Amino acid sequence: MNKSESPIISVKGVTKRFGSFTALQDISLDIRPGEIFALLGPSGCGKSTLLRIIAGLETATEGSVAIDGQDMTGIPANKRPVNMVFQSYAVFPHMSVADNVAYGLKLERRPAAEIREKVAEALAQVHLSDFAHRKPDQLSGGQRQRVALARALVKRPKVLLLDEPLSALDAKLRDAMRLELVKLQESVGVSFVIVTHDQSEALAMADRIAVLKDGVLRQLDSPAALYKRPVDRFVADFIGSINMFAVSGQRAEGGQARLETAELGAIAVPSDHLPAAGQGALTLAVRPERVKVGAEAPKEAQGEGGLVSVVGRLGDVAFQGNSSIVEVLLEGGGSLSALVSEAEADHLMQAESGSPITAWWALDDMLILPENATAA
Amino acid sequence: MAREKREPAGPFDYSRKLSLRLVFFLGSIFLYAPIVVLVIFSFNNSRRGGNVIWKGFTTKYYEKAFHNDALMEAFINSLAIAFISTLIAVILGALTAVVLWRFRFPLKPVFEGMVSLPIVIPEICMGVSLAVFFSSFGLYVPRDMPFPLNLTNIIIAHITFSFPFAAMVIRTRLNSFNREMEEAAKDLGATEFQVFRDILLPHMKPGLVAGALLAFTLSLDDFVITFFTSGPNTVTFPIKVYSMVRFSVTPEINAASTILILITLLVTFLAMRFQSFEEPRQ
Repeated sequence: MNKSESPIISVKGVTKRFGSFTALQDISLDIRPGEIFALLGPSGCGKSTLLRIIAGLETATEGSVAIDGQDMTGIPANKRPVNMVFQSYAVFPHMSVADNVAYGLKLERRPAAEIREKVAEALAQVHLSDFAHRKPDQLSGGQRQRVALARALVKRPKVLLLDEPLSALDAKLRDAMRLELVKLQESVGVSFVIVTHDQSEALAMADRIAVLKDGVLRQLDSPAALYKRPVDRFVADFIGSINMFAVSGQRAEGGQARLETAELGAIAVPSDHLPAAGQGALTLAVRPERVKVGAEAPKEAQGEGGLVSVVGRLGDVAFQGNSSIVEVLLEGGGSLSALVSEAEADHLMQAESGSPITAWWALDDMLILPENATAA
Repeated sequence: MAREKREPAGPFDYSRKLSLRLVFFLGSIFLYAPIVVLVIFSFNNSRRGGNVIWKGFTTKYYEKAFHNDALMEAFINSLAIAFISTLIAVILGALTAVVLWRFRFPLKPVFEGMVSLPIVIPEICMGVSLAVFFSSFGLYVPRDMPFPLNLTNIIIAHITFSFPFAAMVIRTRLNSFNREMEEAAKDLGATEFQVFRDILLPHMKPGLVAGALLAFTLSLDDFVITFFTSGPNTVTFPIKVYSMVRFSVTPEINAASTILILITLLVTFLAMRFQSFEEPRQ
């Protein structure tokens, strides 16, 4: 039996309403054993609510959650085989670090020797062995988080749920903790479900990401797929940075569609490039690293799709170390940014701000996105 | 011989200003001088307690106070009332505080107001109403009830006025409780009762201690309400002292009062030690 075939958590049609407010709208997703799964979205998108429904701290208005094949409807939080790391860590202040970690095992009435052994093991796992007898108020934020991690992991949960695990840490510690969490997940092997509003965090850590907006699941994919093939304007905008041009008019012409934009003028694209599903106005989008800049676009179209080129004036050049972001002010109003190499940036710095410049990109690199891919 | 220049006083350096030091000094004298005098004159070898002339050191009035059976009985009555009423007031107060903090229910603001009403009602009104209540409902405890059941009326009265204080102190403490702590405990497998015992109760502990301390001292020195609810055979320390003063002020009263002060200080000290032991600060 291949374990990765059957999901460890299966969320089916979960809807959550608070009075007239719908926090989650018909969410269905599967979490595979041993993966890091991120619930990503802006604040208020319902991602934490979904996590709390999985944990049993909140009940779904409709739909069901199954953990390891067992339906969890009606099973309270204290009887579910998942454990959670809270945003505030919620470390018990009146207990020592070791007692915090032991608490869950004591509730299970395990023998004292076994508890001691497991607590020592868990503390070693999070590098807190020397702090076992400290009280939480003698620990730093990062250490307190590791207490919360050890306390949850010592219960050997089938899935570890983490609510904004890095948001309370300072920037430097956050980067270190990202790596540490990934390593920890690899060593314990259980699935992690991480709620975060920080796309870079999700991209760096997760095997798969579910992007939520206003309680609706917009896209569920691997980080690379989300970045390269976002299904709609919101996902494209939320993940990484991207240049976007609103399409104001659209006309079919044989096998092609002519898309009107204020900034780029009319652009002809093959009809099969248009999104199949979704509603709302279309948006043309291109990642800054796909945009080339120079005095003139190459004459011959490379690849099959051809090129899109636009003339503008040179704006600011923002130095970023090994690369720079070049701002191109467009004739039709607005601007776009291009990511250029260090050498190119040096060259561009010579030119005067406001001098004419051309930006171009391959038609195949341009995304044509609906406003919302999920709405009917 | 240039002396190093004194630094100017900082914004919170109040103790550096002579005028403020003087105010502090006068305030302290106003508050504590009578108590100090009371304690000193409990050792005065004079027949009259009100005598302000020092006639030599003696501890005979302490002996006398200890051998004054009526005074000792009143003293023990007061302590028993204070202990029992504090215990019940803190339990009731804690339950009330948890209900007010945790749940939403119809007429909650009314209930909340009613709980704190005894704090603002004049003591004399409470005394009269309790006295009328006990007599009209025939609730006066028979005189031959064994100790401490003979004190039931007074204990009930003391619980009535001290429990709102305990409830408010505990309620305030609960405000600082992080609800995620409760959820974390549940997530780790705790039942509602285990959450209460292992997480909420330890958090409430400083509030419980402070509430108990407040209730204890309120009960120990209450005069007005006790006066209305005590029978001729159930005399408390403040009432006994009052009746003794009406005959004559003797150093015996000073001695008994000094012991009372000592007990109060001891209880306060123990409570503070207990709290600092519970929550080591760094």
